[in-house]
Amino acid sequence: MKNTLRQVFHSPKFLVGFIIFVAVLLLAILYPLFNPGNPLQQIGLGTFAPPGTYVSLYDAVGTETSTFRLDDADAKRLASVLSDEDRVSMVNWLTAVGVDVTGLDITDTDALLEIWNANYDQSIRPEGMTNAQRNSYISLNNRLQSLGASETLTVMQPDEEGEMEEVTDIESTDYVNVGDVTNVITLPLGTDNFGRDVLKELASAIGTSLMIGLVAGCIATFIGLVLGLLSGYVGGVLDDIVMFITNIFTVIPSFVLLILINYSIGQENRGAMVVALVIGLTSWTWTTRSVRSQVISLRNRDHVNLSKLSGHSLVRIVLTDILPYIASYVVMAFILQISSAILSEAQLSLLGLGPKTTEVPTLGLMMNWAMLYSAHLGGKWWAYFPVIGVIALISFSLNLMNTGLDQVFNPTLRD
Amino acid sequence: MKTRKLLSLVLAIAMLLSVAGVATAETAVADLPRNETLYFGGQQWGTVNSWNPVGTNQNNAMGTTTNPSGSRTIMFETLYMFNLLDGSMVPLLAEGDPVWADDLSTVTVTLNDAAKWSDGTAVTSNDVIRTWEISLQLNNTAGANYGPFIESIEAVDDLTFTINLAKNEEGTPVNPLKVEDFLVATFVAQAAWLDTLEERNGGDTVAMLNDEALDAPYTGPYGPYVSNDQLVAFVRNDNYWGQDESMWGKLPVPKYIAHTIYADNAVTEVAFRQGEIDVGQIFVPNVQDLWEEEGLPVSGYMMEEPYGICLTMPTAWYNLNNPVLQDATLRKAIAIAVDYDAIIENAITNQSPTFEEVPRSCMNPTEVEQAMYDHEAVADLQWTGNDVEGAIAMLEEAGYVDTNGDGWRETPDGEEITLTAVCPNGWTDWQAAIELVAAAGANIGINITTVYPESSTYSTVYSNPNQTEYDIFMQSPDGAGPSQPWGRIRQFMSSDFVGLENNFSGNYGQYSNERIDEILELIPITTDEEELKALYTEAVEIYLTDVPSFSLMYRPQFFHFVNESVWTNFPYDGDGTNIPPTDCTDGYGIAALYNLQLVEG
Amino acid sequence: MKGYRKYFGKKIFWFIITFIAAVILNFVLPRLMPADPVAGITSRLAQGVTDASAVQEIYQRYAEEFGTNRSMIEQFLIFVGNAVRGDFGTSFSQYPRTVSSIIGSALPWTLALQLPAILIGWLLGNLLGALAAYIRKGFDKILMPVTMFLSAIPAFGMAVIMLVVFALTLHIAPSSGAYGLGMTPALNWNFIWSVITHYQLPFWSVVLVSIGGQAVGMRSMSIYELNADYVKYARFLGIKDRKIVGYVFRNAMLPQVTGLAMSLGTMMSGALVAEIIFSYPGLGSTLYDAVTSADYPLISATTLIITVMVLISTFVLDIVYGFIDPRVKAAQYD
Repeated sequence: MKNTLRQVFHSPKFLVGFIIFVAVLLLAILYPLFNPGNPLQQIGLGTFAPPGTYVSLYDAVGTETSTFRLDDADAKRLASVLSDEDRVSMVNWLTAVGVDVTGLDITDTDALLEIWNANYDQSIRPEGMTNAQRNSYISLNNRLQSLGASETLTVMQPDEEGEMEEVTDIESTDYVNVGDVTNVITLPLGTDNFGRDVLKELASAIGTSLMIGLVAGCIATFIGLVLGLLSGYVGGVLDDIVMFITNIFTVIPSFVLLILINYSIGQENRGAMVVALVIGLTSWTWTTRSVRSQVISLRNRDHVNLSKLSGHSLVRIVLTDILPYIASYVVMAFILQISSAILSEAQLSLLGLGPKTTEVPTLGLMMNWAMLYSAHLGGKWWAYFPVIGVIALISFSLNLMNTGLDQVFNPTLRD
Repeated sequence: MKTRKLLSLVLAIAMLLSVAGVATAETAVADLPRNETLYFGGQQWGTVNSWNPVGTNQNNAMGTTTNPSGSRTIMFETLYMFNLLDGSMVPLLAEGDPVWADDLSTVTVTLNDAAKWSDGTAVTSNDVIRTWEISLQLNNTAGANYGPFIESIEAVDDLTFTINLAKNEEGTPVNPLKVEDFLVATFVAQAAWLDTLEERNGGDTVAMLNDEALDAPYTGPYGPYVSNDQLVAFVRNDNYWGQDESMWGKLPVPKYIAHTIYADNAVTEVAFRQGEIDVGQIFVPNVQDLWEEEGLPVSGYMMEEPYGICLTMPTAWYNLNNPVLQDATLRKAIAIAVDYDAIIENAITNQSPTFEEVPRSCMNPTEVEQAMYDHEAVADLQWTGNDVEGAIAMLEEAGYVDTNGDGWRETPDGEEITLTAVCPNGWTDWQAAIELVAAAGANIGINITTVYPESSTYSTVYSNPNQTEYDIFMQSPDGAGPSQPWGRIRQFMSSDFVGLENNFSGNYGQYSNERIDEILELIPITTDEEELKALYTEAVEIYLTDVPSFSLMYRPQFFHFVNESVWTNFPYDGDGTNIPPTDCTDGYGIAALYNLQLVEG
Repeated sequence: MKGYRKYFGKKIFWFIITFIAAVILNFVLPRLMPADPVAGITSRLAQGVTDASAVQEIYQRYAEEFGTNRSMIEQFLIFVGNAVRGDFGTSFSQYPRTVSSIIGSALPWTLALQLPAILIGWLLGNLLGALAAYIRKGFDKILMPVTMFLSAIPAFGMAVIMLVVFALTLHIAPSSGAYGLGMTPALNWNFIWSVITHYQLPFWSVVLVSIGGQAVGMRSMSIYELNADYVKYARFLGIKDRKIVGYVFRNAMLPQVTGLAMSLGTMMSGALVAEIIFSYPGLGSTLYDAVTSADYPLISATTLIITVMVLISTFVLDIVYGFIDPRVKAAQYD
């Protein structure tokens, strides 16, 4: 046993797979420790906040400031409001309404603004301009108005009589140290359509999905093992009955069964574990078949016959003389069951037949909601790409481990 | 080499299979030139069933949609077009305003003498009458909907007819408002063709309702062109009667109107972003990103939030079959604790005005309806939400406390409260909203759990008047129309619906109030503006006091976003055209089709 | 020939038994749901109808037409009777379209997409696996993990990534549908070209995902065979390497054919979900629509068709296997 384990861990494929798997698992276990709380809590008002560190503007106002005179700060600030393209389109608008712009240097911000402010009127819509363009000019114009304001911003607050009272001034050279601001939140993967922290949700979803995989895998392997052993070892009528059922369910795609069963259960009854149970109950046939064929080849071996002659009970023969020989096989089948169960959950959720939405996050549900709120169309990669990546990694690592095991247990495959 | 040959062979066979498979079913028709075609999205799901103006289940969104807020008149036409911007009725097949008798017992309508069928014959009163008779005979949507309000329609002459309203025991007309709905919502079909329809189906009701009716003459500017699994298209009838100076004076600009049939919202959105759709009736989350961040030539009716006009308000209804919910205090406490700002921001990404901007009532946010009641008079009853302390204080005072220490409050009698909040699975914005209702419950110590059944299960349960499974559930009242907001008040509170089997129409929570029933009878026959306003205000007051249901957000009845990659000059807020943003097809919104221009370059 | 007859007879027997079981499951399971589909239709039609008894009447009319007011057994007999004639009843969500016509228009697209995609994925996978086994070294070390990783990406994920990269970012492929906008199906070059361009993304996302699993299997089988005694013996006899390799791969292919039969269901389910992402008008999209609108005649029929497709493919593979497997061949001399 010890020897086998050492061999297994010497297989580079198994090792790489194992490391990836453990890394994913650790994320699921450790992240909630660093960042406790309900993963489904809607922290953000609004959808799909991009990844990054968010500093409380409210707290930042009261925080002690340092002054830095950076050469390019003003230019950056200006460029963020008025890009080069904006300048060109301003000139386009002016030309379209017949303003003479000859000799105007568009890099000269003051001159450009002056002529713009003198001529722009949002009620004018030049011939051939679309409403979308008109809207973009209006919002450009609104942005430009903030440029005209004085360098210093004043923060005010109404006092008891409702009079505005100055709280503080903010200079363009004022900076605060992020570490000094009381409320700072880092969202490595932003928020989703509900305003939930995606990484936190992902960590929890990995846990649930692995759990679904584990439960479904255990159920499928258990049923497959028991039926396979019985039908292979006992044979006869029992074998015929088991194989009859197994044959039927091998050919009817389990995906179809999953859809039909999950549909008939109804959304309100589909907890994550119910889905795992259904997946497990529909995916045992493969294990049954292979265990059975292995057992048949084993059952007439000498050591089994010896046990039989010694009058050992059926249970004992199966446990001591047969099971150890097929154990490696069963472990490998079990690993594959886990990865296919995780995939099944994800596919079902995409069809709207996954676990109910609000109890626990799962990888499939995260994907489903990201699709429903068209994250992939709006370039909100953080809402769906990590999910695909995690599913791929889990399935990749399990497959690698499986290949590694295969090579250990089937010496002819070794490099 | 062998595999390569095999590969190419397999590929070739596959291609042929797919092409041949679909090509056999259809005859070849010329492709639609992009610069002559206006593409729609988000209206037609699945293949068109029929073009039957008096049928049901046509699944022909562009061709046969009828609705008081604006019937879709590109193919069949109504007598009047509703303009939801000002609540007016613009003549279409009719000429001039409808003439009401002083006691509102009859209304007389004259047809435009220029109006012609696509086969060249004139539209006559007989067409209107025959359409009405067949609607009653078939009990189709129009017949079922307006039958109780119209006694008969009589011809005065070829172009003039009089509608006699149904009367109640006291001899007053039941509901003139519903008759106005009738004038803007129902299509007119040709009498001669209706005879053909009856004849070829041997008078069988179901067969007549399901008749494909591709031969039905129409009066509108467009007729059927192509219809298959992927596309439905209409082609302009260049002999359209509306070119007459008495109507539009010209033809609508696009030669073709087409709607690609997409599988779902996401795919529709892709097509809309790429400019494959010109007019999109789609909910795009954070739609402003399309123009602000991505610089796409996309715009809504307004450039600021909520970007469009909301006509309805998805509402959470309390089920009064649950004895616990019969206490208005509990109902109001939950309602005031809900964070509506979060709902509006997350569920519908700000495409709804907030309840601060448009205080709650039974009226939709359009100016016409908002002007119908006295905002000041009910100001004290208003709430804008997230008032957790207020709700807790209310509950404490009424004796709702946690007596058994399980963390949830019990009723003053010590009974446990567990409520289920429900909406159909897959209705994303509703689900997000219902989640926040449950969260509000948690904040004030009321145990609310959420359930999302499949929509058919949902329909089965909520429509049952004796159901006790759903305590708080979602449903939207009707949008705009001549009979609104009367119809909406009726949906919210009328006892007409109490105890009704298969009730998909209104007051799903079994609320009843005698005064409301009186008000509902009075409004349709009241003509005095002041009196009307007093009645509406009283209704709103009762609604806000008793809280039989509470709206969670406002929502457009139809989303209206346009991509100006090919076409421009769509209506926008403040363009002075008074054309409503109803996807260029509904009610008076169709006027937009006459103003379109191609984008230059 | 007796051996063959026995072999095929047995296969056909199983084919029929499984088919019957599938029909029963497809009928019963969706109907176990506690929902009333007629209520769904009525609520859609009754929008805006204010008169209450009119709604009642609409409801009764449809309950009668769909026969939902009859007993389950009665409904099943009607279902079977009609299904034999290719009539699967009327769709609830697309009433009054028949289920057969909906499936009829979706089926060619799914066949044309999935059959070649799965076959080519299988061929490429086997080719790659064989090469990896034969060449080993760098090829094996780098390419195998890459293909394995690719195949670990779920089909829908691959579809989303392809959609975002090729259609939305690079704009070099159409994003959805089976042919271009505004086109009407016809046998002309424009249309065929449009079908081909729309075919690429869904096709490759299925192919890429299915390559890996096959390659890994083929590689192990080939290595196993390459180390087998008969190879050593043949080498010892001085038979040409090329000839030996030919034998080896033919032997390694055999289990792969069975493997294809076994994994067909899984591969198809992935491909069906990928169809939804591209709005490809095949059975996957039909199934999605049917599920979201609780249209159980359509769910029954779609899943039944998918089952039958898998059944037939498995059956065909069994037959093919019977011809190429020497053991079955040998059985005819019994």
